[in-house]
Amino acid sequence: MARPSAPKAGGLPTSVRLSLQFSFLYAVLSAVVFAMAYWFTQYEVHDWVIDQMRGDAGTLQAIYQTGGAAILVDHLNALAAVSFEDARVYQLQDASGAVLAGNIDLPIGRPLPAMIPADQIAAAGSIIHEVNGYWMQETPIGPYRLIQGSGDHIVREVLEALGTALVLGYLTVIVLGLVAGIRVGRITEKRIAAILNALTRLSDGQLAVRLPVPAGGGDDLSRVSVKVNDMLDEIAQLAESQRQIANDIAHDMRTPLQRLHQRLERLRATPGVAADEIDACLGQTRDIISTFNALLRIAQLEGGDRQARFGLVDLAPILSTVIDAFRPVAEDRGIDLRLSDPPQALMVRGDQGLLTQMFSNVVENAIKHCPSGTTVAVDGLSDDRTIVVRIADNGPGISATDRERVFQRFFRTERSRHTPGNGLGLALVKAIAQIHHGTVSVQGNNPGAVFRVEFAACK
Amino acid sequence: MRVLVIEDDRETADYVCSSLLALGHLVDHAADGKHGFLQALDNDFDVMVIDRMLPGLDGLTLLRSLRGAGVTTPIMLLSAMDGLKDRVDGLEAGADDYLVKPFAFSELSARLSALARRPPIKTEETHLRVADLDLDLLRHTVCRAGQAIAVQPREFRLLAYLMRHADRVVTRTMLLESVWEFNFDPGTNIVETHISRLRNKIDKPFDRPLIHTVRGAGYSLHG
Repeated sequence: MARPSAPKAGGLPTSVRLSLQFSFLYAVLSAVVFAMAYWFTQYEVHDWVIDQMRGDAGTLQAIYQTGGAAILVDHLNALAAVSFEDARVYQLQDASGAVLAGNIDLPIGRPLPAMIPADQIAAAGSIIHEVNGYWMQETPIGPYRLIQGSGDHIVREVLEALGTALVLGYLTVIVLGLVAGIRVGRITEKRIAAILNALTRLSDGQLAVRLPVPAGGGDDLSRVSVKVNDMLDEIAQLAESQRQIANDIAHDMRTPLQRLHQRLERLRATPGVAADEIDACLGQTRDIISTFNALLRIAQLEGGDRQARFGLVDLAPILSTVIDAFRPVAEDRGIDLRLSDPPQALMVRGDQGLLTQMFSNVVENAIKHCPSGTTVAVDGLSDDRTIVVRIADNGPGISATDRERVFQRFFRTERSRHTPGNGLGLALVKAIAQIHHGTVSVQGNNPGAVFRVEFAACK
Repeated sequence: MRVLVIEDDRETADYVCSSLLALGHLVDHAADGKHGFLQALDNDFDVMVIDRMLPGLDGLTLLRSLRGAGVTTPIMLLSAMDGLKDRVDGLEAGADDYLVKPFAFSELSARLSALARRPPIKTEETHLRVADLDLDLLRHTVCRAGQAIAVQPREFRLLAYLMRHADRVVTRTMLLESVWEFNFDPGTNIVETHISRLRNKIDKPFDRPLIHTVRGAGYSLHG
């Protein structure tokens, strides 16, 4: 049975990964929000500043109309003097472009409205550094030209405040998210470890194990666990009823088979009967019994009947006993059956009797299908993790399409249809390998076939 | 020998008892566990046959009770159960041998003889001798009529088993279990082939064969 290898440990727990992903998403969103806020703020503040300046211009126009040019100049100078943080700049020019009033030293000649950098303005008094540029506009008042400017630092200050808020919020979310993520992650990790542990024991055949469900836990993990447990209950029930059926069949068929055998034996001892016929019947009865026993054993193994007594078993002496047992038979058939000496013990966890039967069946299968003059070579190799036993022959081999099917119950290849046997030997091999968490497969050997049995090594 | 058969299936009990009688054994029968228990305590048997599933008192409990009561008679457990653990459970409960139904009478008979006349445990058994055949268990040597015969380790084990059970029938499955520790019956004629090899060495060069085939049952070694 090929078991998927466990995913590598050491990756970030899901919740931490999620919270990191979330904070990244938050950072991207913040950047987008910031960009939008920048654009809107700039637009709105600009609008507001322009409105302010227009309002001022209207007031100044009214002052000129009622008080004349001199009052207008006074007013402008007063306004320029109280301009807070150089946020506002003014200039009044006459028709020739000469400067009459204001806090801009250089005459502004260029057409307005426009954005003009702060260093081109040279406003009277100190120019504060926050102002990078001015939005400038002009309004005709009588024969004069009124130039107004408003610093852009208002927008930047608003945006700075907004940015600071967003960055602080972002950091808070990351820190809180990580702390919460790690905490939740630890808890979830523990629960998932408990679930994995339960699943491992289940796949080892401990069908009574259930996934842990914390008291009062109605979260998704608990709900999944409850569902899995319900399923396991049903599986356990099915396995139990299958076992029961197998036991019933076994018992209810063994007794009549016993009686049949007895009657035939008794009949055989009666004088004047056709002894040959009865011997044939007895032979058939024995065939039925052996097929019956093999089927039942396969069913027991496949049904997960972990009643076998598993202990530490060395495969090396098992292999040599099996080879020993079959060597004379092989020699009589002209087959060279040999075992390469395994260099060391081949320790696995298993049932000695079943493992012996498994290798016996594979070797027997090879001998049965190989013609005279062939070689059947058995070897066992082990490294830290696995033990591989190969039974290789150079006989007729098994066609690629049949290689999977030879392990099915009652499957027989075209060539083997007329050899004796019940078609269960290799099915039993597979069932025995599986109960040991091992695998068995067959490949081509150019020419011939190689059976390969693989187990986890035991130290 | 005197045999107690505790078996509830009438037909099987009838057949086993009458067949044992026909071989000249004394046979007592009990149809349930309680009667079986009382009979086993009251009389002295050479061997007992107990079915695993009995009404009243099941076979395993009966076995444990008998062993608990100090009964040391060899016991053969018959069973319709052949689970992976059943045999071990039976042997652990105190059975000396375990036979799964359906079985041939010859198998039961051969195994009962082996059980009943099981030699008392000798601490120093170094030689086996049957007729002019000698086997040295310490030196792992075989000789017949003073002539050394080279045998392979497994053949030595096979021969030793046959000699220990001399004059009795040993079946194929008894040999598979004790010589190769095969608790299953491979379809291939492993035992026949090994016996044939052994005969070539032990019997062929000599006038009188020692290994005899018992038709439909197994083999017997005798002079």
